[in-house]
Amino acid sequence: MLDGTGSMGVFKDIKNLLIGMRITGKHLGRHAITLQYPEQKWTMPERSRGVVVLLSDKETGELNCTSCMLCMRACPTAAIEIDAPRGEDKKRTLKVFNVDNALCCYCGLCEEACNFSALKMATMYEYSTPNKGDLFWDMKKLQEAGRDVPYEDKRKKKKAKPVEAAPINEATPVKEDTKTDSPPPDDKASDTAGKEDEG
Amino acid sequence: MPELRTEEFQINMGPHHPSTHGVCRLILTMDGEKIVKIEPVIGYLHRALEKICENRTYAQCIPVTDRFEYVTAMSCNQVFSMAAERLAGIEVPERAEYLRVIMLELNRIASHLIFYGVTAMDLGALTPFLYGLREREAIIDLFEMTCGQRLTYNYIRVGGVARDIPKEFIPKCHEALDTITEKMSDYEGLLNENPIWLVRTKGVGVMPAKLGIDYGVSGPVLRASGVDYDIRRDDPYSIYDKFDWKPSVRQNGDCFDRYLIRLDEIKQSIKIVKQALDGLPEGDIKAKVSPNFKPPAGEVYARVENSRGELGIYIQSDGGKKPLRVKMRGGSYCQLQALPYFGTDCFIADLVAIFATLDIILPEVDR
Ligand code: SF4
Ligand code: SF4
Repeated sequence: MLDGTGSMGVFKDIKNLLIGMRITGKHLGRHAITLQYPEQKWTMPERSRGVVVLLSDKETGELNCTSCMLCMRACPTAAIEIDAPRGEDKKRTLKVFNVDNALCCYCGLCEEACNFSALKMATMYEYSTPNKGDLFWDMKKLQEAGRDVPYEDKRKKKKAKPVEAAPINEATPVKEDTKTDSPPPDDKASDTAGKEDEG
Repeated sequence: MPELRTEEFQINMGPHHPSTHGVCRLILTMDGEKIVKIEPVIGYLHRALEKICENRTYAQCIPVTDRFEYVTAMSCNQVFSMAAERLAGIEVPERAEYLRVIMLELNRIASHLIFYGVTAMDLGALTPFLYGLREREAIIDLFEMTCGQRLTYNYIRVGGVARDIPKEFIPKCHEALDTITEKMSDYEGLLNENPIWLVRTKGVGVMPAKLGIDYGVSGPVLRASGVDYDIRRDDPYSIYDKFDWKPSVRQNGDCFDRYLIRLDEIKQSIKIVKQALDGLPEGDIKAKVSPNFKPPAGEVYARVENSRGELGIYIQSDGGKKPLRVKMRGGSYCQLQALPYFGTDCFIADLVAIFATLDIILPEVDR
């Protein structure tokens, strides 16, 4: 079948096959590069988008989240669920923060939307489970997962500039937001107005 | 004694067949060992991506386009961003354009390396698969280092790119390109002269240029049939006109030329990336675009040259923050629809070679 016409052709074919074998043969003496997974692990790059976690303040240990809901709005799969009713003093208290990892598409848009270093995509990737329900992470689990995640605190730097560092409340986030990302006017309004329009 | 007679019969290739690169069913009508008719059946991977896009804001559509053509997701990000930018009249900073070209071309190299490995594997040669994927790994690592994901990048955004490259990117990228350049001789040595490979691919599945044009085939498959048409040069987008490169063209249109043209393209892409890395200017990486921006009402079609041909996105906007209609156009679809017209009159084993060298991926066909 080979296109060897006459004996010369056959020799040519054999020679070309040997060229290929020489290339593979070069690897014979080399050691394997396979990583023995559960024992040895790859170091994930720092930007790697593994799983959504909530970050806590390094000193107080409280969540950084201001319940501004920007991440919830940015999420294309509605994987984030936030409930933060306003109290007497018009301030929101974060009651529910759920991430359904079964819905999440690991796009990282929530991390980008958050202006308060409250949410990050951590490099952790080993959380597969036979039970789909376990992929639903509530606030506590998200906070635990984010405890030791190193992060750069965008919040502190901004807070340092104004002399009277006000506690994070409704007023500051929106202003900072306008400075950095300039969302369209209708958005600014809805951010302060709260989640009524989200229904 | 009853009279002996022959008759045609039908067999299914796929939907679960390792060489259909996804889930594609080909109903083959056979006359003995020869194929006389091919009927592709598609839709097994339909995920309604276009409809999903219509229910998302423009920024949220980008992760959806990642799933459109996952082997070169950067092109999908790029073409959607380009369409939205044209619609809203957004200027992209120069550094972002350079970064885009770097990523697009790296992604093209990665895709062609997969092609190299998978095609050889379909034809029974396992070694090239390991070789191709080894070098591809270096490129995927570059992506992961930059945008955090290995396949669904969500990197190119409306108005620019998501993040700047990390410091170690440029040296690592040069290193990866140098390795690939060096290994090209290995790739060629393994297959180009290999007598078994030549018998399986030379003169097999010749696609006439006219047929390709009639059925909307584009990209490397069409260029292998002698049509010198490359969107990067003929309908320039981004900053491709700044670089010194030329589209690769081959004449025979058989499986072997379709294979060689991809190796040529890897070399050209390396050239482009090197120039882009050297010329990378400082500056912004993203124009100021709000996540919920509203482009004016209108319609736009943007297209890019992706490793599987013309990749296009049509967006119709009614002025709202979500697109009114999105249409995605992939190169694989056209290649699959041309297949029944030149893939017949050969053996099933040849059809595997033809299917592999068309480099069809089914998620792009089914959307
Ligand atoms: S990564 Fe994307 S899909 Fe997942 S929670 Fe964040 S925004 Fe939603
Ligand atoms: S964007 Fe950040 S601060 Fe706002 S709700 Fe989400 S996690 Fe909390």
